[in-house]
Amino acid sequence: MAVEMRDFAPNRAIESSAEAASALLSLQIRKRFDAADPANEDSFELDIAAELSPGITIIFGPSGAGKTTLLECIAGLLRPDRGRIAIGNRLLFDHALKVEVHVHQRGIGYVFQDLALFPHLSVEKNIEYGIRELNLALREQKSRTILDSFRISSLLDRKPNQISGGERQRVALARSLVTDPCLLLLDEPLAALDGPTKSTIVEDLRIWNAAHRIPILYVTHSREEVLALGNRVLMLEAGKIIAQGQPQKVI
Amino acid sequence: MDWQALLLTIRLSALVAAILFVISLPIAYWITYSPWRWKFLAEAAVGLPIVLPPTVLGFYLLIALGTRSPLGHLWQSITGHTLAFTFQGLVIGSIIYSLPFAVQPFAASFAAVDSRLIAASATLGASKFRTFREIILPLSKPGLVAGMALSFAHTMGEFGVVLMVGGNIPGVTRTVSIEVYDQVQALNYSAASITALVLLGISFSLLSLVYALNRRVFAAWLWK
Repeated sequence: MAVEMRDFAPNRAIESSAEAASALLSLQIRKRFDAADPANEDSFELDIAAELSPGITIIFGPSGAGKTTLLECIAGLLRPDRGRIAIGNRLLFDHALKVEVHVHQRGIGYVFQDLALFPHLSVEKNIEYGIRELNLALREQKSRTILDSFRISSLLDRKPNQISGGERQRVALARSLVTDPCLLLLDEPLAALDGPTKSTIVEDLRIWNAAHRIPILYVTHSREEVLALGNRVLMLEAGKIIAQGQPQKVI
Repeated sequence: MDWQALLLTIRLSALVAAILFVISLPIAYWITYSPWRWKFLAEAAVGLPIVLPPTVLGFYLLIALGTRSPLGHLWQSITGHTLAFTFQGLVIGSIIYSLPFAVQPFAASFAAVDSRLIAASATLGASKFRTFREIILPLSKPGLVAGMALSFAHTMGEFGVVLMVGGNIPGVTRTVSIEVYDQVQALNYSAASITALVLLGISFSLLSLVYALNRRVFAAWLWK
């Protein structure tokens, strides 16, 4: 596919992620994994080029297609072999220019498949983990707003193992969103939930996204979720984009 | 019962466990997370005291602490006396002797922390140091306590290294295990049996603590 490249100021840091909130996510990623045992399994190469505007984009494909690898490259948990990653005019990774912003400075929200809530911290501490540097008043105001919009205010003092699966999902989302990320990565976040629980969380996420115009990448392998959620879907297979566009057309 | 020897042993063990706690944290962190391909050599070096005869370790330590070695020479030029056959020398010897008993449980408990939690902490903006302090350390508490208990108990029970490095100076380097040996040599079995029983009791209690921490039920109180 043809990718339109614009000129970017190299690694011009921006003051806050909010400034990049209406920005385009521009991806060119190549990452190769050589099979440990060449006789047994083929090596795998992720090769993605895409430009994604704010709103929910579904990343759809069978397991092993490279969906999680893609998210990990964007978040900075994996280093691509080559390519570049930018959000608006903020360069996060550029192989040619040797730019690599560290994970903790990317300002990207990531909700993991297994959620990765900190088991030793209360719901409140989990949610405030990413905004510790803010002053107390601002921190409380932000966490109260997000707790209300995800309807988890009553759980503050509980530990993650004392709340339900749906509640854990909401806490994980809230923990990422409260940091005002410039991009949100969701790795099959709702796979374990039943239909009704799923749709209310999706609704809350949509409402939040309407107010915070950032790109959201939503990884799933369920057709049903693709049709219910997205305005846009990227279909991945064996590390490549094989189709993209509106869900009804692609599927 | 030689209370002086017991107090000396407890003082030595507590000091060694405290120092080991501080130096084993970075070593265990490095062993767990370093991508260096030759790090197994460092792991093997740390583990040496487990398999090396204490007399061999003691012999090398004695040379390292002697006035002809850089360390011994430096120590002497600062303090005016030698390191060998002093309490300080005994502390240094014990730290090396008990190093794997702190580093290995620490490293095992760091490695058991779910890597997703560490990734989550980073994506939430936490530096590696903050992740270590607020996620890895608290989740490794049982392993930290076990490492401390083991290095304390191992230091209490050392004999060969103490004899080589410290000698047998009452109140300075004469520990409980050496006292037991002395009493047996002097055919003073009743005194030896009391001292031996005390050492057995302390060691059993500490090991019970370590194994209790391996069971979630008992480890739970540490999480609160």
